[in-house]
Amino acid sequence: MDKAEIKKKLNDIESLPTLPPIVSKLNEMVADEDITAVKLGKVIEKDQVLTSKLLKMVNSSFFGFPQRISTVSNAIVLLGFNVIKTLIVTSSIFEVMQASDVGLFEHSLGCATACGIIARIREIKNPEEVSTAGLIHDLGKIVIRSELPEEYVAIVEKAREKGLYMREVEKERLGIGHGEIGGMLARQWNLPERLVFPIEYHHRPEVAPEFKEIAAIVHFSDILIRALGFGDGGDPWVPGLDHSAWARIKLTRSQMREIIAELDEKLVELQDFTLDIKVEG
Amino acid sequence: MVLAKDAVTPEGQVLCGAGTELNEELIVKLRKQGVLVLSVKGRPVRAPGEKSLSERLKELDSRFAKVRRDPVLRALQHLIGEYWVVEEKGQEFLDKLKKETR
Repeated sequence: MDKAEIKKKLNDIESLPTLPPIVSKLNEMVADEDITAVKLGKVIEKDQVLTSKLLKMVNSSFFGFPQRISTVSNAIVLLGFNVIKTLIVTSSIFEVMQASDVGLFEHSLGCATACGIIARIREIKNPEEVSTAGLIHDLGKIVIRSELPEEYVAIVEKAREKGLYMREVEKERLGIGHGEIGGMLARQWNLPERLVFPIEYHHRPEVAPEFKEIAAIVHFSDILIRALGFGDGGDPWVPGLDHSAWARIKLTRSQMREIIAELDEKLVELQDFTLDIKVEG
Repeated sequence: MVLAKDAVTPEGQVLCGAGTELNEELIVKLRKQGVLVLSVKGRPVRAPGEKSLSERLKELDSRFAKVRRDPVLRALQHLIGEYWVVEEKGQEFLDKLKKETR
């Protein structure tokens, strides 16, 4: 299968959820300069199921707000519209993932948590956006799994058998890695480039045309969460480090200690979060 | 056991502050009021199915098998390992261990 074929397949994805109609409505509203978070919140709150899912996500420990967020308009003010939109767009994806691959779901939540911690240390303006990029960095793996299930099984098996990274086998079999595939879908969904590039380039952040720092944080968070052994990214290996990306975010030894301690503590809370889902599911 | 963090209900109400000494009676009370999770200092109990420290360190090492030549990642592996050792056995144990291997 070549790249064009995969692209075509992505274009007519059926089993993967398409954009919920509410997103285009919200996009239109955001284009209007007079729009307020309260007005946007009201539109979202009409959908009770979506609202409860959204509030559950924003209150989970990977965003790490000390106080409880109880309304959607509050969530928009605190997290920004990009984050809320991404959570709406991807909420159905995560449902698919929770049901079929809790390991990857945990890996994604863990990566999001690490991203948030590092973004705060690096004093990035909207750290929640970086968390969100971490949350969906492996979107491509979900696409491969749901759209090319036979290929997915073959990729996992070969990676395990030969002791390779998933993306090495993806490139070999599909001619394209999960980063690129995730980027394609995120673009198709009109997610902002601040999220598209980090997804697409999380294994080679320095090639990203823009938002290299966010890409570098996602890159390192992915490494960190794999190193800690939380969740399951498909193969058991810690990914290689891009040293130019490391030079960009360069964390000191004491900052690293701080990050590991905070992350380890938050992972316990995350486990409770996914346990909740498992029980409810 | 001592609370490492405030005991809060799912609604966000704080019932007990960090530093509170826990006993059975208090735990039952907190549970009755809806508290689902408590964080305690150190690692006083092992969760069912939780691996021992030496197993965890061994698995940590095998996850780094493909990146052993990378000095930054090697440092990362050490920091994680040290964190786990200190968490379970205390700082003194780690210092002693470092002295012995020196």
